[in-house]
This record gives sequence, C-alpha cells and structure tokens, in this order.
Amino acid sequence: MDFFKSGLKTVLGAPEPGQLPSGAETVERLVDRVNNSTLLEDRRDACRALKAMSRKYRVEVGAQGIDTLKQVLELDRADNETINYALDTLNNIMSPSQFEEEEDNPHVPMNIGEQFTEMFIKDPHNIQLLLDLLDEYDFRVRLSAVQLLTSLLTNRTKDIQEIILVKPMGVSKMMDLLGDTREVIRNETLLLLIKLTKGNANIQKIVAFENAFDRLFEIVSSEGYSDGGIIVEDCLLLMLNLLKNNSSNINFFKEGSYIQKMLPMFNTPEDLEDIGWSPQKVSNVHCMLQIVRTLVSPSNSAQIISSCQKIMKNVGFLDALCNILMASGVPADILTETINTVGEVVRGDITNQDFIGNVMAPSNPPRPAIVVLLMSMVNEKQPFPLRCAVLYCFQCYLYHNELSQTSLVQTLLPSSTDVSSLTSGRLLCGGLFSADVLSNWFSAVALMHALVDNLGQKEQLLRVLLATNVGSTPVSLLHQCTLLLQQTTKLQSKVALLMLLCHWMSHCSAAVSAFLQVPGGIGYLVNQTCSNEHDENEYLLQGLSAFLLAICIHFNDDSVESYTKDALKQLLVKRIGVETFTAKLSEVSKHELYNKAAKHPQLRVKIPAEILIDYEFCRLFKVLEGVLINSISEKQEPDPSEDRQSPAADNLEQYKSLIRQQDARLQELMQQLDGLMQQNYALQSALNDSIASNSLLKDENTLLKAQVSAKLPSQSNQTNQSSQATPGQQTQASQATNPDRILEYENKLQFLNSEVTRLTAELKASEEAKKIFEEDLVKLKQGQDDLKKDQDDLLELLADQDMKINEYKMRLVSLGQTVEETQADTELNLT
Amino acid sequence: MAYAYLFKYIIIGDTGVGKSCLLLQFTDKRFQPVHDLTIGVEFGARMITIDGKQIKLQIWDTAGQEAFRSITRSYYRGAAGALLVYDITRRETFNHLTTWLEDARQHSNSNMVIMLIGNKSDLESRREVKKEEGEAFAREHGLVFMETSAKTAANVEEAFINTAKEIYEKIQEGVFDINNEANGIKIGPQHSTAGGAKAGGAGAGGAAGGGCC
Ligand SMILES: Nc1nc2c(ncn2[C@@H]2O[C@H](COP(=O)(O)OP(=O)(O)O)[C@@H](O)[C@H]2O)c(=O)[nH]1
Ligand SMILES: [Mg+2]
Repeated sequence: MDFFKSGLKTVLGAPEPGQLPSGAETVERLVDRVNNSTLLEDRRDACRALKAMSRKYRVEVGAQGIDTLKQVLELDRADNETINYALDTLNNIMSPSQFEEEEDNPHVPMNIGEQFTEMFIKDPHNIQLLLDLLDEYDFRVRLSAVQLLTSLLTNRTKDIQEIILVKPMGVSKMMDLLGDTREVIRNETLLLLIKLTKGNANIQKIVAFENAFDRLFEIVSSEGYSDGGIIVEDCLLLMLNLLKNNSSNINFFKEGSYIQKMLPMFNTPEDLEDIGWSPQKVSNVHCMLQIVRTLVSPSNSAQIISSCQKIMKNVGFLDALCNILMASGVPADILTETINTVGEVVRGDITNQDFIGNVMAPSNPPRPAIVVLLMSMVNEKQPFPLRCAVLYCFQCYLYHNELSQTSLVQTLLPSSTDVSSLTSGRLLCGGLFSADVLSNWFSAVALMHALVDNLGQKEQLLRVLLATNVGSTPVSLLHQCTLLLQQTTKLQSKVALLMLLCHWMSHCSAAVSAFLQVPGGIGYLVNQTCSNEHDENEYLLQGLSAFLLAICIHFNDDSVESYTKDALKQLLVKRIGVETFTAKLSEVSKHELYNKAAKHPQLRVKIPAEILIDYEFCRLFKVLEGVLINSISEKQEPDPSEDRQSPAADNLEQYKSLIRQQDARLQELMQQLDGLMQQNYALQSALNDSIASNSLLKDENTLLKAQVSAKLPSQSNQTNQSSQATPGQQTQASQATNPDRILEYENKLQFLNSEVTRLTAELKASEEAKKIFEEDLVKLKQGQDDLKKDQDDLLELLADQDMKINEYKMRLVSLGQTVEETQADTELNLT
Repeated sequence: MAYAYLFKYIIIGDTGVGKSCLLLQFTDKRFQPVHDLTIGVEFGARMITIDGKQIKLQIWDTAGQEAFRSITRSYYRGAAGALLVYDITRRETFNHLTTWLEDARQHSNSNMVIMLIGNKSDLESRREVKKEEGEAFAREHGLVFMETSAKTAANVEEAFINTAKEIYEKIQEGVFDINNEANGIKIGPQHSTAGGAKAGGAGAGGAAGGGCC
C-alpha cells in the first residue's frame, strides 16, 4: 500500500490521516481524471499512476480503464510519454503471466489477461491503433507497442492473426521493425514475429515475401552464427515457423539460395573439442538441424525433397553434417539429431545414399561410418534416442535404393571373403540373436528394410547360412529366425521377427517354401492365430501370425508337398475358420502402436516400451490385408466328384445377391448419413448459439467480477468510516437481498408458468368442445335439410293424390255418382 | 545461380483465369489441365536473360477469390512487376479489371510495372473479349498488353520477359531506387559493386526519369 500511496500523492493529494482509499476507488478516480481532465499533464500523471497500479489492481484497472486507455491512444498521440504509459498499462492488464503482486489475491482469475484481450479485440480497430503506433519512432512507444502486440498474440493467437492479416500493411509494418537499428526493438520484434507466424501459412508467406530470410541471415551472421547468443536462436525459430508445412516458402527458400547461407552454421572450429559446446550453441545447432529437416521432411512433396537434397549435397552441406557425426565431444542430443538429419538428407536420393555409404570414420582401424553407427545401434549402453536415430538413418540409407540394399545383404553371403572384418550384415545378425531385446528389434527391422520391394535380395538372403555351434551343420538365417520366433518369450522380439518374415516372404515363393520346410513353423502360426488370450498385445501377435499364415498361402507355389496352397487353405478353414481369421487379421491395425507407426517413417517414441511396429511394415500390411482376405475367402476348388453344374451361373447368383446386399447396405448407410448430417446441422447451430451466448456471459462475468471486487472493499470502507457499529452490514444486506429477490422472482415466474400451462390447457379443451359443437351443428343442419326434403316430397305426393282424387271424383260425377266432399282432407292439404 | 538483378512479380486476377497455369508454364514448361485452387499464395522462380544480363524472377501466384483479396494486398508493396490476368472466354473477368487495377495502384509503389494479359487465346471459338478491347483498356490505363495461352505456351515467355524488360528499362532510367528492397528489386551478389555504382549514377537523373509514368 505504501508503495503506491506515496506515488499517488501528486495526483490525488495527500489522503486525510487515517483514511485509506481502496484500490478500486483510486482507480476510479484516476480513470475519471484521464477522461475529464483538459490538462495534458494531468492526464499524463493519471496514466502514469494507472500504470503503477495495473499490476496489483489489474482487474480494477482493466474493467474500468480499457476504454479510457484506448481513447488515450487515439487522442493523445502527440505526447509520447502519455502514450507510453497507456501502452504499458494495457500490456500489464493483458499480460499472459501472473504478477508477483497478485499472487495472493484470490480474486484474480488465472486467465484474466486472456479475458481482457478478448474484450480488447472485440473492436478490430484497436489493433489498427497499435499498428499505427508502430510507425512512431520514439523508442519507448515503439517498444511498448511491440510488447503489447506480443502479449495479445500470445493470448489469442488465431483471432489476432486473422485481424492483422486483413490489414493491408499489418505484417509489412512489423517486418520493417526488424531493420530497426536499436537492438532492443529488433529483438523484441523477433519475438513478436515468432508469435505472429505460428501456424498461419498466409502470414508466413507474407513475412517471407518481405525479405525475412535476408534479414534473419544478416542478423545470424552478425551475431556469429551458432556461437551467437539467444538472438540467433530466435532468428532460427522464426525461420522454422516460416518453413514448417509451407511448401511455397520452402520453394522460395530453396530458390533464393538460402540453403547455402545456412552452411556456416555447421562450421566446426578446430579447437571445438577444447572449448566445448555452450548450452546456447547446443540450442542454436539444434534449431538449425530442425530447419534442415523441415526442408527434406518425408511429408513434403517428392519434388521439393529431391531438389533440396541435391542442393545440400552440392554445396557441401552433407559433408558438414557428416563432420559433426565424426567429431568428438559432440553432445549426445546434437549427435542424435544430426543422425536423424543425415538420414532425411539422403533418404531416397541415390547420390547422397552412396555418399554416406562411402564415408569412413576416423576410427582405428578405419571403418565405414555406417558400420560405426550400427555398432551403436546394437549396443545396449548407448542412449536409447541415439539408437533409434541410427535405425532411422539406416532405413533412409536403404530407402528406394537397390544398391545399398544389395550391398548390405552381400556382406552376409558366404562368398564374402573378408571373414574377420566387422560388416553391417554381421552386426545385424549379431543383434538379431543377442540377448538384448531392443537389439533384436532394431536388427530385424533394419534387415527387413533391405528387403522392401526387392525380390532379388529376398532370394539372396535365403542363401545366408549361420554356424550355430562349432561342429554342427550350419542352418539358414530364415530357419534360425523361425526357430527363434518359436522360442522367444519377448513380445518385441516376436513382433520384430514376424514383421521381418512377412516382408521376406511376401511376393517371394522361394522364401515361403523355405519357411514351410522349417519344422513346426506352420503349426506355430496356426496355434498363435487360434490363441484365445485377451490383451492388446496378444491380439496383435494373433493378427500378425494370421497375416504370415495367409502370406504362406497366397504366395505358395505348391513346391512343398505337405503344405500346398489348397492344403494350407483347408487347414485354415478347418482349424481357424475364415471369419475368425478375418477378425484376427483386423486386430493388427487396431493396435495403438500400429497407428502411431503408420503416421511417419521415423519411429517417434519416447521410451523403449513403445517400440513395436515399423512404418514399412504398416505399408505392407495396408497393401496386402485386402488381397489376402480375398485370397483366403475365394471359393474352394469344387470337389470333382460333385456335380459341376453351371458354376458360372452359380457365381452370377452369388454376385447378384452380393450386389443386392451391398445396395441395401448402401441405402441404409445413406439414410444414416442423412440423419447424421441433419443432426450435425442442428447441433452445430445449437453450438453456435451457445458459443455466442457464452461469450456474452463471459464478458458480463468479467465485468461483474471486477465490479464486485471493486465494490466490496470500498463499501465496507465507507461503513467503517460513517458508523462503526455494523461493519460490512450494508454489503451483507445487499448481498442478502439479492437472493431474496431472486427467490421472489423465481416464485413469480413459476406461478406465471403454471398459469400459462393451465390456460393453455383450458384453451385447448374449449377449442375441442367448440369443434364438437360445430360438428353437431353440421349434423343437425343436415338432418333438418333431410326432413325438409322429406316434407317436400310428401307434399308433392299429397298434391298428386289430391289431383287423382279430384279426377276420380270427376269421373264418378260424370258417371252419375254423388260424391261427398271430404272437407277435412282438403284442409289437411292446405296446412 | 549468380544473377545481376532479382525482380519480384505477383500474378493477380479473378479466379480461374489461368494464373497458376501461366506460372507453371513459365517455370516448368508444362501445362496441367486440372489445377488445384491456389490457397493463398504459391511461389515459383526462374532465371532469364535480358541485355546479356542474368535476371532472376521470383513470382508469387495469388488466389483470386474475394476471401483472399486482403492477403493479396500485402504483396503489392514489395513487387516490381504485376501480371494482371483475365480470361478472354469470360467477359466478367475482363469487367473486373478496373477493380483489380484500383487495388493494385492503391497498395503498390507507383513504379510497379503492370502487364495486362488476356489468357486462353487458344480458345478462339469461345472468345468473349476481343483483342482490341484488351488493347484499348491497356492503352487507357498505361499498361503493356498481351494475349497468351498457358496451354500452348504462346506468348507466355514473352509476357514474363517483356515485363522484366520494362522494369530493367526503368532501372536504367533511374526511376527505381534499386537500393530499396521494398521495391521488389535486388542487386545480385556478383554485381553488387558495379550495380551499386550504376544505381548511384542513375539515381541522380531519377527525378527527371520519374516523369515518364
Ligand atoms: N484452354 C486453356 N485453358 C486454360 C488456360 N490456362 C488455364 N486454363 C484452364 O483454366 C482453369 C483455371 O486455371 P488456373 O491456372 O487454376 O486459374 P487461376 O485460378 O487463375 O490460378 C484450369 O482448368 C486450366 O486448365 C489456357 O491458356 N488455355
Ligand atoms: Mg491459382
């Protein structure tokens, strides 16, 4: 309290002794003063005081002051000092972080900065005000405006990006600040641009168009490249933002020869070993490696990847990366990331793959770098991320490259002369049968990648023989793998061997027939597939076994008599059943780790336990799953003893019914879809409504909170002063009346509601009665009409008869008879 | 890779007039009948020779839809040249030229060279806008004009190169301040001293040369 009390004396005058104005009151008076004072100096002092209060009383200053401060920005542009106070105050209000001063104030919501930001940007013109202030050359104003924009962007990234994007010079203005000679402003602008460009491709493109890469490389080089300070890291982070998932900017980067400009980042000074790597240098190089990987990421288009890879090779980039690999004293995480990077720089590019295949490590005796890397992969003592990186790099080395695949398999063949030297193949075989389960997995998967889409090497690998024990006859690698599969109890080893065998045997009937000759192989697969254990990993094993079994059937050339295609199919149908088989197969792609692996060629795992499935295996599975199911469920060759009448017609019927079924299903699904779409539409609009009302409520809530916290202390203060008898009574009372009132209203509302219901019911009842009446009326009228008609008919009849009687009378008279007048009849006639 | 100058271009005009196809034809020498809608802005680059000098063109292809207009506006300021494209088989794309031109003039630097392009000249049978109308519009607004076909590649090279020639001439006349990168022109690394001296010399006559447009 003392702190701002003394600070405010000049503005408010000294308070009367013993009387402490509350924060909220003070804020109110200050805001008043800014609003109403005609003297600039007065307003300036009030703004300064508001700034001083805005950390401790940010709710009060924000709730009461936002509009006023905004006006200051508009109207007091001529006075930099005032503007500066207003900006700093706003920046405090919006700050994404909590201030020390407010730590023990429970009234301040955690996201208060965000809430005020939301209120501030309701009017997009406010952002324009800030953009205009960037034109101000004054150091403090420019700096504060940059900082405020950064805070706003931190709180509401997307909203503000969209606002700035539609301001014609918005992004350009910020870019201009990168050229500010005052380093502080330049550095703050970097932070602003990092926030601004995050995840927004259109802004990223404009920033690149505005020569960002030139500016950034200028800064990076003037700061001493990777030996520079955190500014270098900031520049690199911004570049990373500009390039990530932005093919247009990657193209621009490549065409603008910026790849060449990155080269000095990887210069390794001669004496680096002695001086070591500072933490900042580690961060800088790490960022740089991320940029390189963004350019050649497997998720980019093939065209971009390939042209970037070529440039990197041609300008000596790949050499520089390999130098880091071979240098000593490189921190482990840099080494790991460099290995990953080298992998992606060579992936699928034959020249580059060839290049790293020939790099020699400065070891004694000299060994190929690839071999040295693989030694780390199958070494339990190496850090886990490093081992994963080596696998990835090795996979990239083999990717789409028959030559490197061949040369790996070559090192395992009996013809390979140099028995003593350590080769890639030997390392992998060692890893395959080592006691370390991760080595098993890495090695099996690495070997598998030598076989991807390469029938020749699948067949070559069948020739590989292993000497298991001294004196015993050597067995084939495939045989040994199959035996190991049956023996091992470790999940990761089993899965790895299954994946290896699947790749090996797919499209390769020679490998299938080799497998069928291994005792127990098929039996094991059938048992595994039929196994009934319930757990995610067991399901996976069952599915993988089913998959391999189906490969044995589909790619079977009937060369093993006991396990011909048909025999195996019979076995599958009888022992497992087509439906069970299909169900088991579908379990593979349901496994969580399968889905993780399928996303990206690089294994992205944090702990050894997450290692299970490989990306290339997922690809194989996706391609073959449907084919294999079709192949298994194909109708069995009809038994020749049976009458073979018109199989074609039979088939036709089958298809027809299938089509009918599918048609019905389609209809059904379409209906469901329609229904769902309607539902979705309804939900969407309901959601929109509630979002809108929610945001309204939020605003109200913030204001109410601010008012409550502003009023509570001030009211109790007043009561304290006037009559000390009942401190805080007034507030209590007002608090108490509120619920009472509400209760009262609620009661009334309830009453009214029930009244409405009752009246509605009555109305309904009377309407129904009316309807019945009306119906009766219609009926009655009809009855009346009928009666009238009857009467008319009768009258007619009477008249008729009357006439006839008269006629007869006449005749009688003419015949000389006397006729009595029947008066009564005539009278009746007339009524 | 070394170049004497680098020019930045933008391609603007209604959606569907063939902007992306023109860029693809110019940079890759191919035509892709079904082209994705450009989302925002795409980039392409190519080297050309003018007056024995290597000139690098960096071209930003924009999206014509209304929703992206404000984004396109951000590119005017930093561009040295603009290709304003309409489709000779759709009159409304010709009718919208005025709006595009206003937008461009308002947000670009006054020296930006604008080339008017009537694209799809291969579709003569479906022509809705006469060549003379394009010429008249260009004359009236001080633009260079050309009809092109991104499909047959007719005049595509010329459109981009003539724009570059125009910019190059303006540089020679000293109209452009080539030391200000915001104009969409950069001096290449190899010629930076020679180019710089020339620029300085030409800069003196800049005020006089400026009167030509
Ligand atoms: N016949 C013909 N069709 C063209 C030509 N240029 C573009 N098109 C077609 O016009 C459509 C739109 O082209 P596009 O380049 O995407 O237009 P943009 O929206 O301006 O980028 C595509 O279907 C193209 O195949 C041309 O010169 N001749
Ligand atoms: Mg397009």
